[in-house]
Amino acid sequence: MNADVLTAPWNVRARVRRWLAARLPRTDSQLLTQGNIYILPTRAGWMFALTLAVLLLASVNYQLNLGYVLTFMLAGSGIVSMHITHGTLRGLTLHLRPVAPAFAGSAAVLDVVMSSPTSTRFGIGLKLLEAPAATLAWTDVPGGGQATAHVSCVPERRGLHDVPTLTAETRFPLGLFRAWTVWRPQARMLVYPHVEADAPALPAARPVAGGAQARASAGGEIEGVRAYRRGDPLKLIAWKKAAQALETGAELVSRDTSSAVRQELWLDWQACGGLDPEGRLSRLAAWTLAAHRANADWGLRLPGLEIAPGEGDGQRARCLEALALWH
Amino acid sequence: MALNASAAIDAAATAVGEGRRALPRWPGWSRLPREARDTLFLLAVIGWTVLPHAPHLPAWSLALSALVLLWRARLALANAALPGRWLLVAVLVGAIALTFWSYQTLLGKEPGVTLAVALMSLKTLELRARRDAFVVFFLGFFIVLTHFLYSQSIAVAIAMLVSVWGLMTALVLAHMPVGQPSLARASGLAARTALLGAPVMVLLFVLFPRIGPLWGVPQDGISKTGLSNKMKLGSMTEVASDDTIAMRIRFDGPAPVPAHMYFRGPVLTRFDGFEWTQLGLPYAPTTVPSRPPALQTRGVALGYEVTLEPLRLASVPLLEATTAVAPVEGYRLVARDDLQWLADKPVLERLRFKATASTEFVLGAPRRAGELQDSLELPVGFNPRTVAWARAFRDAHRGASASRIAGALLEHIHRGGFSYTLAPGDYGRNAVDEFWLDRKEGFCEHFAAAFVIVLRAAGVPARIVTGYQGTDLPAIDGYYVVRQSSAHAWAEFWQSGVGWVRADPTGAVAPDRIGRSTRLAPPQGFVAGTLDAMSPRLFAELRSALEAVNNRWNQWVLNYSRGQQFDVLKQMGFATPGWEDLALLLVGTLVGLALAGATWAWLDRHHVDPWVRQLERIRRALRSLGIAAAAHEAPRTLAIRVRATLGDAGGLLAAMLDALELRRYSRNAARRPDPALTRDFAGETRRLRALASR
Repeated sequence: MNADVLTAPWNVRARVRRWLAARLPRTDSQLLTQGNIYILPTRAGWMFALTLAVLLLASVNYQLNLGYVLTFMLAGSGIVSMHITHGTLRGLTLHLRPVAPAFAGSAAVLDVVMSSPTSTRFGIGLKLLEAPAATLAWTDVPGGGQATAHVSCVPERRGLHDVPTLTAETRFPLGLFRAWTVWRPQARMLVYPHVEADAPALPAARPVAGGAQARASAGGEIEGVRAYRRGDPLKLIAWKKAAQALETGAELVSRDTSSAVRQELWLDWQACGGLDPEGRLSRLAAWTLAAHRANADWGLRLPGLEIAPGEGDGQRARCLEALALWH
Repeated sequence: MALNASAAIDAAATAVGEGRRALPRWPGWSRLPREARDTLFLLAVIGWTVLPHAPHLPAWSLALSALVLLWRARLALANAALPGRWLLVAVLVGAIALTFWSYQTLLGKEPGVTLAVALMSLKTLELRARRDAFVVFFLGFFIVLTHFLYSQSIAVAIAMLVSVWGLMTALVLAHMPVGQPSLARASGLAARTALLGAPVMVLLFVLFPRIGPLWGVPQDGISKTGLSNKMKLGSMTEVASDDTIAMRIRFDGPAPVPAHMYFRGPVLTRFDGFEWTQLGLPYAPTTVPSRPPALQTRGVALGYEVTLEPLRLASVPLLEATTAVAPVEGYRLVARDDLQWLADKPVLERLRFKATASTEFVLGAPRRAGELQDSLELPVGFNPRTVAWARAFRDAHRGASASRIAGALLEHIHRGGFSYTLAPGDYGRNAVDEFWLDRKEGFCEHFAAAFVIVLRAAGVPARIVTGYQGTDLPAIDGYYVVRQSSAHAWAEFWQSGVGWVRADPTGAVAPDRIGRSTRLAPPQGFVAGTLDAMSPRLFAELRSALEAVNNRWNQWVLNYSRGQQFDVLKQMGFATPGWEDLALLLVGTLVGLALAGATWAWLDRHHVDPWVRQLERIRRALRSLGIAAAAHEAPRTLAIRVRATLGDAGGLLAAMLDALELRRYSRNAARRPDPALTRDFAGETRRLRALASR
């Protein structure tokens, strides 16, 4: 939904809704009680009332006592269904599992655990408050047990955001009433920058400056072999062993030279020339992922921030977080 | 019609045949995909709901519904696409045209039911959104109601209960979107909803004020046959085969003998050659005072209670001669000089009231100049042979009193070769001539009409009285049921010096019709006949038990009307209940229930789990000591912090927290918190605070 529309002064409905939502306390574990469940008849409920009126009119005009029985039976069921609808949510506990970081522009999944201390509850739908009704994720919660519902949301911008307001609703059993609750989880979710699609290839790794450079030119002595790593220069591959290795399905091996230059890959803000800041962050995020995939050692340089080279999942998370939170 | 019906069956059979050939393999009920199963279930429920209408619907309507439902079932099984909207519109237009062709109108009961059934069947072909499903449900509830226009018997009630249950089950299924809930589960939930709603139903049924029809006179729904203000020869045959109930009587004392069970309705004096009509207004306007009858009674007065079905007449047929009627809510009943009880408007609702009657009475002197003259008039040019016959008869009995002449006439009917039949065939313009002199076959109205014409021609004032004669044998609970088939016409003639004397010429030819409290029995059905032949006693017992159940049903459910409502109020201590009291009581009860609900909700809202409450107090106590205690921290965590912060001084507090942890979370945890622990904890905190401040 367009944020401009929501904040426009003429969108009174949205403003009222946001004002109401803003009054709600934020909590990660919400017990649904009388105080935070709302209930109103649905359109079908009004139609049902109209049907009852027609049935009653027919019963009165034709003096049909069985018609009265039918009308009042349906009316009684309707009233009871209101309580059952409300009771389906009442006593339910909603709990938000820790939210995994996500990339802007792609879906983030919120795992909500619903637990019912009493009986089984049918047909509970969960969605973002602002999302259309078609996105409801339906769940049954077993009595005395738990069920998990997954709601996905697509964060627009990077950064540390509040988890969007959620709503749980039910129309069980007869669909004449809709009971719902509005829940603002306390947790915040980390949103990494949008990953640039078709980002250019990783910048070339550069040898580390310092004494190592001199030895590198000497060619070095071969001290042994090691498994092939991506990015090894072709001349370092032990070609004599390669045919044998390929035949047996083993890995290629590279010659390991103690004199091999320590290559360092720097993902640098300055390297993304010609882009706006967000574009640069997107490219750096794409490079970070690429570097992680390539099992490389890499470091990140942003204006006023430098992350020392490292590798693996930890480095990936560090870098992406830095990109997400960079001001 | 028979041809049409068999054509319909053929069409349905072809539809079944086609369906079978084109049907995808049946995977078994439990292996059906959810959507197909739900659709098939709904179709079955719809079929069940529509089926009892089969006798009332034209053949094409049945065939159309069967075809559409079967086709829809096939689509559901094959998971095929639904037909386009234009096809549906075309079929609907066709159905409307056929309805018009069948009934020449689209208004009224039958066309309405036919259209509703067609609409419901067609709507199943359009079940796309949830909104469409709701339309089917609500149409279904409406069709259930239309069955009650035809019959409110126990069997229909049970069949319709199943229908409503099925519809509600389908509704519940539609709101269980997850997985494949079993039908048994959904139907259980539907039944639970309905059962929990039963008290509301009973309350509303008992207390909802029974008011009359809100507008017009719905001619449908209630039998059109019955008494009327006019009589034309041949019109009562319809009534004779109508077994619906006209009224129920319960006598306070012993019942009068069947021969005295005359319920006097409209008195018909004027005759135009074709039709007998009433003198005066057919109702008793409140503005004009009516002349009371000159009535002398003998013997003990007999109290009785009448439950009168809506006869749509202002004339209220009451036992001859009813002397007094207790006030009736909403109506003013008065007796006119011809001893008719008239209301101020047609009675359109079921009435129950008490009345007093004496079966031995004399209806005395005329209250109006010319009353006797009206009872002598004959239209000129009608039935000349009967008039001539009557004059000759009078000459033969010259000087005899009116009673003697009437007696001789009855004797003539008894011996003159007359026979009583419900199917006398049609009579022409001079119907009485044909009947009296030629064919001599007829039933009560022929006899009464001929009798009165002969008496008038012979110079004796006479008139026709219509009403009911005879009742069913009393049911177990003492109710005498008067049916429309007991409708009767008899005569009254003027005997100077005495008054109006009743003469029933039908009794002269068919004494059975009058003497016993039974009616002409229609031929038994095949099953009943077989049962009767096999074991007459068993059959009689079964029948008696069934009738007793049926009677309960009639009295408690079908017959529950304003009278019974007021009786309920009287039992509750209202001295003179009116419908305002009913409304007040109903609203009061509903408000009371709502308040009780609101109170419960308020309590529930402010109810906090006792464990949570205890822990909250303990946290507050800890904070007062300067120890951080967050909402998510368990007692054990708090205990560790207490030990770390306070050292040995907090040993007691920490021990209490550990005890709390055990009490709540250990293998043998207690159900409720220990209030002593809360108190001790607070006390210990106070002590520590006091120590610290010193």
